[in-house]
Amino acid sequence: MPILRMRDASYVSHGVTLASRVTLDVNPGDRVTLRAASAGEAEAVAMMAAALIHPSSGSVEIGEYDSRVQAAHCKRLVGFVPHDPLPLREMGFDRYIQYRAALWDIDSQRARAVANVLLERLRGMHEAFAYPLVGALVANPAMLVLDRPQPTDREAIAAAAGPCAIFETQFGTEA
Amino acid sequence: MTRRALRAIVTTRLWAERRAILFACATAAIVGFIQPHGIAAITDPLTADVATRSVWLAGPMFFCSAIGVALALAQGPGRRGYLDSGERSAPLFGRELARAKAIAPSIAATLTALVYWFAQYLSGFAAPPTFFVLALACVYATTLVALNATVYRGGKRALALGLCAGTVAAAYALSVYADPLQTQRGDAIGVATELAFCAIVGFLGLRQYGEGLAHFDPIDPSTGSG
Repeated sequence: MPILRMRDASYVSHGVTLASRVTLDVNPGDRVTLRAASAGEAEAVAMMAAALIHPSSGSVEIGEYDSRVQAAHCKRLVGFVPHDPLPLREMGFDRYIQYRAALWDIDSQRARAVANVLLERLRGMHEAFAYPLVGALVANPAMLVLDRPQPTDREAIAAAAGPCAIFETQFGTEA
Repeated sequence: MTRRALRAIVTTRLWAERRAILFACATAAIVGFIQPHGIAAITDPLTADVATRSVWLAGPMFFCSAIGVALALAQGPGRRGYLDSGERSAPLFGRELARAKAIAPSIAATLTALVYWFAQYLSGFAAPPTFFVLALACVYATTLVALNATVYRGGKRALALGLCAGTVAAAYALSVYADPLQTQRGDAIGVATELAFCAIVGFLGLRQYGEGLAHFDPIDPSTGSG
């Protein structure tokens, strides 16, 4: 059974169609990249895949859940990594991991230990991009959703994610 | 939502806005000191009572509410994108998140009102605790209504801000002039109606904020970024 199942998922934001009839499946262990026509489409599809926004039409199912009515359950299965880097001046690594652990109700000590291992695997990746990725992975998601990650980080992300399925969006020269 | 998640959201938001809160408290201290408290010599005790309330409540209600609105707007999308993203991607229900996000500016506004009250006290015009409660109720209601301006755009945002102004004006009018017959129970009537009004408006504001947050569109279609 696919972890992510999008069927004709469209997203309209303030009268502008950002994503139009997207259909795709992501199975356990898959690595799927969606090449978007615009930054808005890439962001909209990534957010729909992470149940952060609901499709305007069509359907998005994550695991056994419909993202429109069971978004909180969907979010337990997904680790979302936004496009924007983490402002390191505002939040250090330990503080960020504790914050994420509290939101996902994960044991602090365990989260810290897992985060340090993951950060070690991501050595070489810029911290501002590595921290959000580690934060998403400490909750042990079934699928990692990345909104326009740095193409140069692809191998490092795959190494850190391990058996976790990866769905990423790309746009323009990033693709 | 676990208490731990609630605490994490509130403390992280407060920490992120620590400079704004500090600035708000400093401003409240200054305004609390310099706010005029004197009233003209009035022999009629009922008229004097209304005049006292109108002068003494004007400062904390209007000023601290404005601060509450500013602190609520500081939670708007874009300012702290990393917190917005973390909270939105967490397995929380919209109404839980709304409650947690409403607590942070409410605490900050309470702190500002306390500093204002303390400054009044130090300047020799210690407002009665009832006045503080009235001002605080008004600040809470306005702050909760102002949160709606962070999840809407355009006309709806303007409407939310207009409702904030309306809430302060109505709360002030109720606490000062609620007793049209100027009876001996003027204070009690004023306090009761203002508190009831603020409780209802605050509840509706928070409820609407939860709805707005659940349907909030974080993507700006012009730039493609949330």
